[in-house]
Amino acid sequence: MNTKDPEKLFLEKVQHLLDQGAKNLGSRTERRLEEARLDALSAVEGKRSGFFLPRRWVLAGSFAMATLVAAALFFLLSPSTETLPAGDLDELEIITSRERLDIYQNLDFYRWLGSKENRMRPNGKGL
Amino acid sequence: MDSALESTEMLNRFLAEVERRAFQMAKFATGHRDEALDLVQEAMLRFVRHYSVRPRQEWNVLFYRILRSRITDWYRRTFVRRKILAWLGRSGEEDPEDPLQSLPDTVNPNPSDQVLRHEERGVLEKAIRALPLRQQQAFLLRAWEGMDLKQTAFAMKCSEGSVKTHYFRAVHTLRGLLEGHRS
Repeated sequence: MNTKDPEKLFLEKVQHLLDQGAKNLGSRTERRLEEARLDALSAVEGKRSGFFLPRRWVLAGSFAMATLVAAALFFLLSPSTETLPAGDLDELEIITSRERLDIYQNLDFYRWLGSKENRMRPNGKGL
Repeated sequence: MDSALESTEMLNRFLAEVERRAFQMAKFATGHRDEALDLVQEAMLRFVRHYSVRPRQEWNVLFYRILRSRITDWYRRTFVRRKILAWLGRSGEEDPEDPLQSLPDTVNPNPSDQVLRHEERGVLEKAIRALPLRQQQAFLLRAWEGMDLKQTAFAMKCSEGSVKTHYFRAVHTLRGLLEGHRS
């Protein structure tokens, strides 16, 4: 006597029928499935070994070289950020002062003017 | 190198194990042999590209999740195409059934038993094809693929409660249809 649950029996039968159906797919379908599987596997093999192909190395090398050249050009052509050598305290004052530059550009004239004024003063102490 | 070969071999074995059932599932869903083959191929490619690095015990559920997703995409595309064709006043062309499908199984020595089984299988497959997509998927993943509730819910991207409902309805419908056919 079979005491199995009718739903279980039904499901077993369904499984059996479905398995039978999957077994007999026909040679054309089976061939296509095998091709699909092999295509997928070759894709994963390509993915694994892809980086070691010479073409990839050439590309990676070219990219690294281009980056290096770009970096070198950038550092060579960009304005220097080094601190200016302050040889003299006067020069440093000139550089850092906010006064008008034309005074320093015509420095000889102002020196001459100063000496002339000194000479015009009777005690040599100026005006 | 050896481990790469080993994992390729493992993948090959896994795909060979699931490809027939995957094809049948896709065929139940689409009703077309070539469409089903394309969907299985897409699922295989996607699986090996993105998920083959995952642990072996996860492969089955992941593969069917991808396949289900491909089938759902196919449904959406077909729905839009049919709408457009209907709007243009044309119906979608139907692919002829694979003639090899109707060839008798020469392995079985008893012809009458074979005819009965063949007929019963035909009724079952037709009934599964007639189920709504979600019921069809829940039924096939649970009853045929042997997934538990949690795995089926993951593969179908829905809750366990939904799986229970879809599965129960599918079993109820199929039992009714098959018992009706027998009587």
